[in-house]
Amino acid sequence: MIMKDWISKINKTGKVTNNDKQEASTSQGTTGQFTDNFILNLEMVRQEIGHNWDVHFREFNLGRTGIRSIIIFVDGLSDKDLIDKHIMPSLMVDFSAEYKQNLPSFKEGISKEFIKNQVLSISDVEEVRSSKELASKVLTGSTALIIDGLLDAQILGTTKLKTRTIEEPVSEALVRGPRVGFTESLSDNTSFLRGSGEIENLSLVKFQVGKRSKKDLVVAYIKDIVDPELVQEIENRIKKIDIDNVPESGYVEQLIEDNYLSPFPQVQNTERPDRVIAALMEGRVAILLDGTPFALIAPVTLSMVLQSPEDYYERWIPGTFIRMLRYLAAILALFTPSLYIAFISFHSGLIPTKLAISIIGTRSGVPFPALIEALFMEISIEILREAGLRLPKPIGPAMGIVGGLIIGEAAVQAGIVSPVLVIVVALTAISSFSIPQYSTGFTLRILRFPAMLCAATFGLYGVILFFLFMASHLVKLKSFGVPYLSPAVPYRLSEWKDLMIRMPLMMMKRRPKMMHTKNPIRKG
Amino acid sequence: MILSPRDQITTPQATVIVINFILGTGLLTLPRSSAEKAHTPDVWISVILGGVIAIIAGVIIVKLGQQFPKKTFYQYINEIVGKWVGGLLNLAIICYFLMTSGFQLRSMAEVIRYFLLQGTPTWAITMTFMWVSLYLIIGGINPIARLFEIILPLTVILFLVVSFMSIKIFEINNLRPVLGEGVIPVLKGVKTTALAFTGPEIMLLLIPFMNQPKKAVKAVLVGVSISLIFYVITVVMVIGALSVDGVAMRTWPTLDLIRSFEVSGLIFERFESLLLVVWIMQIFSTFTITYYAASLGLAQLSKKSIQPFMFGLLPILYIIAMIWKNVNDLFKFGDFIGNFALFLFGLLPLLLLIISRIKGGKYETIT
Repeated sequence: MIMKDWISKINKTGKVTNNDKQEASTSQGTTGQFTDNFILNLEMVRQEIGHNWDVHFREFNLGRTGIRSIIIFVDGLSDKDLIDKHIMPSLMVDFSAEYKQNLPSFKEGISKEFIKNQVLSISDVEEVRSSKELASKVLTGSTALIIDGLLDAQILGTTKLKTRTIEEPVSEALVRGPRVGFTESLSDNTSFLRGSGEIENLSLVKFQVGKRSKKDLVVAYIKDIVDPELVQEIENRIKKIDIDNVPESGYVEQLIEDNYLSPFPQVQNTERPDRVIAALMEGRVAILLDGTPFALIAPVTLSMVLQSPEDYYERWIPGTFIRMLRYLAAILALFTPSLYIAFISFHSGLIPTKLAISIIGTRSGVPFPALIEALFMEISIEILREAGLRLPKPIGPAMGIVGGLIIGEAAVQAGIVSPVLVIVVALTAISSFSIPQYSTGFTLRILRFPAMLCAATFGLYGVILFFLFMASHLVKLKSFGVPYLSPAVPYRLSEWKDLMIRMPLMMMKRRPKMMHTKNPIRKG
Repeated sequence: MILSPRDQITTPQATVIVINFILGTGLLTLPRSSAEKAHTPDVWISVILGGVIAIIAGVIIVKLGQQFPKKTFYQYINEIVGKWVGGLLNLAIICYFLMTSGFQLRSMAEVIRYFLLQGTPTWAITMTFMWVSLYLIIGGINPIARLFEIILPLTVILFLVVSFMSIKIFEINNLRPVLGEGVIPVLKGVKTTALAFTGPEIMLLLIPFMNQPKKAVKAVLVGVSISLIFYVITVVMVIGALSVDGVAMRTWPTLDLIRSFEVSGLIFERFESLLLVVWIMQIFSTFTITYYAASLGLAQLSKKSIQPFMFGLLPILYIIAMIWKNVNDLFKFGDFIGNFALFLFGLLPLLLLIISRIKGGKYETIT
């Protein structure tokens, strides 16, 4: 299955280059074109790719007939097992007798039809006529077979991809839900989507991105649900990508998003096939890139990046509870430190007297203003987080101890920060980690710094202004034409049952209206 | 879908804009201004009557606008009264929006300086506020409507929480006797309370933006009614707690009410910060919509793009806001705006409606 996909994929890409090459070669004459001279052909190929140490040339006597032939393959990319067990034996077995039976005049040379029809026991065979085409095929894992006397070289599909085993997604852990994550292999990933059961209408349209390293990219959607204009728009934006190399889907995301100045992610990324399938069913479009386990989903709204698939897998009461908890966490992650600064440095009269006294008491030894104190702690916790992420796994726990000691104990005892601030910072950090999408948590963590600066300049008023500014930005923001805050605003009461709360599944009968789906009925 | 054809707002959005326009400074000052005029505990009746008047005025405005469902007031006024008078009226309305905008801006700055930021210069407070608003209105009517939709639920929730906290010091006797002094004082207060409901006039401009202009009446009805509920709750709570005489003496009676009690056992013992949050957002929305309305007017009058006017109005608004020496001057300015509004939106639309009806179906063919 995997093999087949890959082979067919290579075939298609091959055809594209074939045409290009043929056009080019006809215009420039017949450079690199194979002739009936075996030595010359071989020499051309050697010039093209022979300098690479991993390209292997294996010369042999074809079918004990005395005809010289050679197979060329790349060590590591091609399936040596297949070559040794199926290709070499069938080519080296004595078939002169059989051949004589079919064709009386053996001296005229061997025919490619015979080789193809009766000798090669392999499913994927095609022909190329120039050394350039041959080189591009061989370098993607196929094996080339050149036979003395034949104008064409046979290309045998022997690509063997090194895939890793399917693992649970690291970036999006769930308690309940499939333990399947995407891998780096595009064909594996598309097979997950096909495997979901939606066969007839799932469209997987292939594109190539990257001018130098051509990578395959698949746009997936469900034909009879998705809004065709949306697909059109996404495909247009993908076609406009003009860059030499696309190493990760993050490149695609950044090159197709609506507003590059916005701190909010406008394309969702996920490692979970179940999440992608759920999104497709809502009328959204997924983008899968070869070589990365992160699929992209567009369009996206703020409420979507705050949701987890588990909201739906659990029953609706716990699902609602978790979801509301998460909204609360998002608000806390954004505003707790700035409110702390505002109330401590400007409005200590507005907090309960006892609390104010105790906070000010613990702060009495702290030599810095609240902003510096908070920045100091917030930045050190960000460094701690970053360090913990980059460290080799065995040293990870050490990071926790060091960080915990420094932040929890020593900083307070040294009188650099107040214990209340430690609580505030810890609350912020935990809250931001509880956001199911890593990139969204990041956004909130970044935004709390400008919020803190606003609070330090204008107190509570600054925090309100910051909120209004952020809200103004969010109401203007669109992801592929869908307002980023929908369905919260504009008011769509019928869709609020899947916004703050998660109503029982039997009540969610329609797909989201904001996706303009062709088939709005989901159930019943 | 990707390129939205036109800026369009839904009926709920129009309603929300009306509510957010109405609720502004009035939330903090209405109890005082009405109690000053009426001197009876029955001002809540005045508030209701004021609301009714506002609804009638609003409906007239809508009826006028619905004769030209594709045009704003700035565009259709010329067809009713001709180029010169129309131009003058347009300028008057732009002035009105600018003055309201400036008034709200200054009230906000005063309250912030009084309650939150004693040391911060007023220019810093007003300018940051204006910039945020400018950032919003550059996006057009749609983002404005959506932001208002965010602000409104926050307002409702926080406002109700704060109001019902103050039930602790609510004294029903402060509201008695009902109509003890007859109807006359109540009627005296009506003019003040009706002016607290200025806001439906935004329908002069909103109808062409609505995707269902026929439902504009509904938007006004619901919008004014919800604001009416807010105002009645405010007035009843404030007068119930502070009594009529107590209210008349205070500049910002609603805030004083919230400051005057403490609830222990919750995170906050005092809730004025919550009320201020709500109120700043309401002022922001009133300021933003009037600012946008004025820019739109200038743009449509000169038939040029709107953005230069948005930037150009910033210093003008700043001057209008800062020209007043103190709060008392500011309130006098507010009264002036009120009288101006009474003429512009109380009498004028009715007059225009009659003229346009008399001229009859002439416009149907033109529009």
